[in-house]
Amino acid sequence: MKLGRASAGKDLRVRYFWVGGFFVFGMFVLAVNLYRLMVIRHDEFLALSIDNQFKDVRVRAPRGQIRDRRGEVLVDIRPSFDVFITPAFCQKCAAEVIPQLADLVGWDEAQTQAVTARIKAAHGPQRYQPMQVETDLGRDALDRVNAVVHRLPGVDVEKVPHRNYPAGPALAHVLGYMNEVTQDELVRLNGASEMERAPYALGDYIGRRGVERGFEAMLRGKDGWRKEVVNARGEVMRDPNGEVLQHEDFAPRSGNNVVLSIDARLQAEAEKAFPGAAGAIIALDPRTGFVLAAVSRPSFDPNVLTGRVSPKKLQEMAKDPLQPMVNRVAAEHYHPGSTFKPITLIAGLRSGAFTEHTTATCGGGFRLGARVWRCHGVHGTVAAVRGLQYSCDTYFYTIANAIGIDPIATIGREFGLGQATNFSVAAEVPGVMPDTAYHDKVTPGGYQKGMALNTAIGQGDVNVTPLQLAGMYAALGTGSLYQPQVVDHVEDPQGDVIQKFEPKLVRKIDLTEDQHRIVVDALAAVVNEAGGTGGRARLKGAMSGITIAGKTGTAQVVRIGDVRLKKEQMGYFERDHAWFAAFAPAEAPEIAIVVLNEHSGHGGSESAPAASAVMQKFFELKASDSVAFGPAWQPPPPIKIAAPAPKPADGGTAALAAQPAVPDAGAPSIASGGTSPAAVKEPSRWI
Amino acid sequence: MDLGAQRQRMIMQAPWGVLLASLAVSGIGIYNLMSAARSMWTAQAAYIGVGLAVLIAVTLVDIRFIQSAAVPVYLLNIGLLVLLKFIGTKAKGAESWLVLGPLRVQPAEFMKIGMVLMMAKYFHDDYRPASPSYGFLRLIPPLTLAVVPTLLVLVQPDLGTALMMTFTAVTLIAFARVKWTVVVAAGVIGLLSAAVIWNDFARPVPEGETRTTLVRHHLKKHQEGRISGWLDPQSDLKGTNYHSMQSKIAVGSGGFSGKGWKEGTQTALRYLPEQHTDFIFSVWAEEHGFLSCLLLLVLYGVILVGSLGVAHNSRDRFGAFVAVGIAAMLFWQVFENIGMVTGLLPVTGITLPLMSYGGSSMVSVMLGIGLLANISMRRHLF
Repeated sequence: MKLGRASAGKDLRVRYFWVGGFFVFGMFVLAVNLYRLMVIRHDEFLALSIDNQFKDVRVRAPRGQIRDRRGEVLVDIRPSFDVFITPAFCQKCAAEVIPQLADLVGWDEAQTQAVTARIKAAHGPQRYQPMQVETDLGRDALDRVNAVVHRLPGVDVEKVPHRNYPAGPALAHVLGYMNEVTQDELVRLNGASEMERAPYALGDYIGRRGVERGFEAMLRGKDGWRKEVVNARGEVMRDPNGEVLQHEDFAPRSGNNVVLSIDARLQAEAEKAFPGAAGAIIALDPRTGFVLAAVSRPSFDPNVLTGRVSPKKLQEMAKDPLQPMVNRVAAEHYHPGSTFKPITLIAGLRSGAFTEHTTATCGGGFRLGARVWRCHGVHGTVAAVRGLQYSCDTYFYTIANAIGIDPIATIGREFGLGQATNFSVAAEVPGVMPDTAYHDKVTPGGYQKGMALNTAIGQGDVNVTPLQLAGMYAALGTGSLYQPQVVDHVEDPQGDVIQKFEPKLVRKIDLTEDQHRIVVDALAAVVNEAGGTGGRARLKGAMSGITIAGKTGTAQVVRIGDVRLKKEQMGYFERDHAWFAAFAPAEAPEIAIVVLNEHSGHGGSESAPAASAVMQKFFELKASDSVAFGPAWQPPPPIKIAAPAPKPADGGTAALAAQPAVPDAGAPSIASGGTSPAAVKEPSRWI
Repeated sequence: MDLGAQRQRMIMQAPWGVLLASLAVSGIGIYNLMSAARSMWTAQAAYIGVGLAVLIAVTLVDIRFIQSAAVPVYLLNIGLLVLLKFIGTKAKGAESWLVLGPLRVQPAEFMKIGMVLMMAKYFHDDYRPASPSYGFLRLIPPLTLAVVPTLLVLVQPDLGTALMMTFTAVTLIAFARVKWTVVVAAGVIGLLSAAVIWNDFARPVPEGETRTTLVRHHLKKHQEGRISGWLDPQSDLKGTNYHSMQSKIAVGSGGFSGKGWKEGTQTALRYLPEQHTDFIFSVWAEEHGFLSCLLLLVLYGVILVGSLGVAHNSRDRFGAFVAVGIAAMLFWQVFENIGMVTGLLPVTGITLPLMSYGGSSMVSVMLGIGLLANISMRRHLF
């Protein structure tokens, strides 16, 4: 052993102090760093540690209801029983739990595999997030699952609020539907707000179309937040009683209720009365512009589209030739056909070239230059009232020939045609009200007189939406054009009105009392006098005393060949659109209505009866309701109309008076010449 | 001298400061574990019991026997580490565990002691009063004695322990006194390492270019991440820097006086997966505050200074080097662990002596303290 030789020695002495000093210095460095963390930066880390232990849980605010004018619920919330799996707690998930669940809820092989794949794909903290694997369990499936759910680890059945549209497809285009908010929308809607507490979260539903979309901000409410105590894995901590440790931070605020001007009973009647496969009915209060009923066919079921639609179903809808997603009330335009004629008549009257008694003679057509514009009949000599009553094309060709297209377009625009109505809750097209400038721009060869003739009878390039036409007829009745609206007011969950929508007057129409009287008389004659095309719109029974003023329209959609085919001989999409537009009572209108029955033939037979049924219902409801049907708001007194409308002599005492006012080559006298049907050209080349 | 008086004298000469401070830290450790890991404190108490038994057993062995056993002990530990490569059990990504029936042993924990003993024996045997300083050539044998076990630990991989062994060996070599040229060379190597780290992790790289790395691509993904995370503590708080950030939150939120025993939210909600072992200090800091942390540092300081005192009073070079080596081992372990918990150093797996839960760690520290006691008690025997 060498112990004795190797004494500790004096040489090591000083080194102990070096080493010791180094150790002490090291401890000092640690102490300084601890002081920095624990004393200087204490507040910062304390805040972080408090943040750490809570998980913000969003408490969804109940979305507001949509109701009709009488408070009947059109859209509300129902519970949807959804199945969730929390992967972290689901033991033997793929082997046992999911196959068992598949049996209970009826998944096929592919669905089962899809769910298994989703559960397996969850990693990290995701595994603690419940994943929705089935929505809307039926009652039987719910019973089956509930009976055994306690034996399925990680599986929960939760009651999730879901949007409910009790009337299904009825009014769907006005109400809209909902689906999941997109990533882009999240960015746009949440904007600068803190992502933690953003108003929208991934997976939230947002209103699409209609009131759901237009009043999203009102309906949505404000989600609440709850803080739950969680550990580092996101597991919710429970107190000894098993209750979730939490504190309410911010209670959710329910959405507001949107009350429409729609009357559900009238809506139901309109849905029932609509006769065709495709088209629209729009009824509004001419004194205010508020919509009473709106039908667009074919429709869609918002219950299906709201988070329950399969890609296959969506494809089917997209391929449907009748395009159920198009809101025909406002988002599609059509030739108005004869329903446009009151505009031409007013243009004629305002021009001064035509009076109530100025006549034209209809021999079945109107010759302009080398071409003959055909009338649908031979009406003899007619003036204003009879011209409109018989819907005599020749009479309106005569006016157009005399004054050209621009005065007609001016009146059309005054009545709201050719421009968007600013109907707040629906996408809309502006329609077309052609004039010289329009044709010079879009038609090869520019404006020609024949275009005025086509326009005069609502063909050519004139296009209107049913909503515009309803506004026009309302204005024909009252002399005032209102912006159409469908939301009457918004009320908070307690029922207090927080936003009231007042009627929005677009303009008073520049009509003399005479002009107004002539048009109303003529429209009343269409329905009420023999030879009128709208006889089938008359009301029945106790309501038969109410005078309807209206106009039929049969709008051609393709050029007529040499031989006019019967409806049955034409393909569906070649058939004429049937229109009926009306207001009632004629002397003080309370309802204006437009019925469009696409590709069904004559307006008098295919659309007028439906309009009649809706108006009948309207007046019956008015009579039975203890409260006055109309809103409390008082309209300006309607223009007075002389009770027995003066009957102009058909003999045409004023026939001569018309002559000097017709300077063009195509004089009525020529038009009256008996032209053989085969030689007559179809009126519209621009369809 | 009769035997009773000699025993009495030996007990008198025991390093009571070191022993009492160690017991105090162990007690604090149990108290702390009661909060951090609920049921584990009973097992830890048993480990302390075993450790104390080992400590006492070590004091009973003649230091001369230990000195002569240094080579076999060293070789046995090397053998175990090699064996580990083949039959080791993996835990937390490293093959660090040797399972012997009901016992799970971490050979690296004992390798540290073996290395200290071996190097102490070498420096004892190699003492040349005529030329006391070590030059490059003369450093080759002791360096080899340190590098072989360190590399074996490094490839487990156990970076924390390997670093601690490196620093311990460097401390011992420095204590043995090296020539100035060696110091300069070490300084240059240090600077070069810093430059390599800067190049591999911190050097700004122009957009589109890939970084030309020297060492980084040889590191394991998690090791690389810890170094880059250490250099940029605010990055990737959910990933690489999660431990470091949560640990700093725990420590920092403790404040001056702490949140109270069992009141630590970071602890109770388990934000740190290794809070009962490597991150045990964060629990103490969060619940008991800055002053209690200072108390703990002072206790460790007492152990360290007491150890150096043992070395100072040692009659021979072997005892002195063993005492300094054990002190260095404890110092670096404490410094690395608390430095890591407080964000001063990268996260490497290393336990806090006497505080962290775990049998191997506890027994190896107690073994070291037993050696100190042994040296101290026999200083006047010869």
